[in-house]
Amino acid sequence: MSEVRKRRFVVARFDPDRDAEPRTQTYEVPCQPDWKVLDALNYIKDELDSTLSHRWSCRMAVCGSCGMNVDGKPTLTCKQAVEGYGDQVEIEPLSNFPVIRDLVVELEGFLEKLQHVKPWIVRAKELAVEAGPVRQSPEELELFTQFSYCINCMLCYAACPVVANEPEFLGPAAIALGHRYNIDSRDEGAHERNEIFRGEGTIFSCSYANECSEVCPKHVDPAAAINQAKFNAVIDWATSLVLPRGGR
Amino acid sequence: MARPAHPHAMAASKPGRTRTAPPRMPPEFPMRGRYRAYTLFDATGLVYLLLGLLALRLAWALGDGEAAWSAAMAGFRNPLYLAFHALALVSVLFVGVRFFRLFPKAQPPKLGPLEPPSAPVILGGLYGAWIAVTLLLGAILAGGIF
Repeated sequence: MSEVRKRRFVVARFDPDRDAEPRTQTYEVPCQPDWKVLDALNYIKDELDSTLSHRWSCRMAVCGSCGMNVDGKPTLTCKQAVEGYGDQVEIEPLSNFPVIRDLVVELEGFLEKLQHVKPWIVRAKELAVEAGPVRQSPEELELFTQFSYCINCMLCYAACPVVANEPEFLGPAAIALGHRYNIDSRDEGAHERNEIFRGEGTIFSCSYANECSEVCPKHVDPAAAINQAKFNAVIDWATSLVLPRGGR
Repeated sequence: MARPAHPHAMAASKPGRTRTAPPRMPPEFPMRGRYRAYTLFDATGLVYLLLGLLALRLAWALGDGEAAWSAAMAGFRNPLYLAFHALALVSVLFVGVRFFRLFPKAQPPKLGPLEPPSAPVILGGLYGAWIAVTLLLGAILAGGIF
């Protein structure tokens, strides 16, 4: 087993009551070889500086709370081993998000965007319980399964160059989630969502940088979802022109 | 610290009570690390704009008669034009390869009863069509056809 290795962690700090701008603070951390980046942050919090604020919960890449920029790359810190980094590791809050304190970012804007795409099963008419479950074949399930693995860690928003320049852009996770419901055989809300998708600042703002998919820790591939959604939204628009009652 | 992003990036529609620091751009954007390829991809648009203007100039010369056309052709021997065309070739290769790499996963999972072909088949078709069109144009320019 390899030795404990000391690393310098350069951590972004911001206290809304004292700081006009974010600043950095450096900590020497004796890293165990099996540590994740989150373990080093928890060491700082527990042993060196209890004023450091960062979010985390499950420690197993499920809750999506501990996303941060590590050496400039949006990273889920509970999943990323510290061994892959050099003697100095830079930790910053996720890019493109307002910062509440230190490494904690504001979630409200993200949650509003998620809600905007109606991320739930929409039915034209609710079925009675007595009608039983709506059945779905394994093939129908497979179409959207990949896009339902999103844990809302927001790394894709931090990596997206369009989000940085165009604040109204719905962004990768929200569009991928909307697309996931659009291709779910139980859902009947695709027309509504496609109208949202054809609006300003949505799917056609995406220039396919593919950065969202590069950083996604769950391999959801939001870039694929967005570009599939573009195609579906155009087909939906075209069919609504030629079919009676807009194809509904 | 990275430079500031748009001040309202990912902000809530109604500001909360807590004062927040403004959002920052991704640290490596636009020219470092992972973003370099994306920025270069976008920058190739400038090359295509110049190519379009060049095509317009040639069409203009064609309308002005044989002397103007010959003069335009002679102008292409200028080293600057040669360098520009070499740059255009690199741009086309770069954009083509990047586009082809990303194209298969942008296909809709299903279109009615039809499913798109697998990624290797799509890639094979794209590269095959590219090679066929290149060979065809090469044969036309070499005088082999027409």
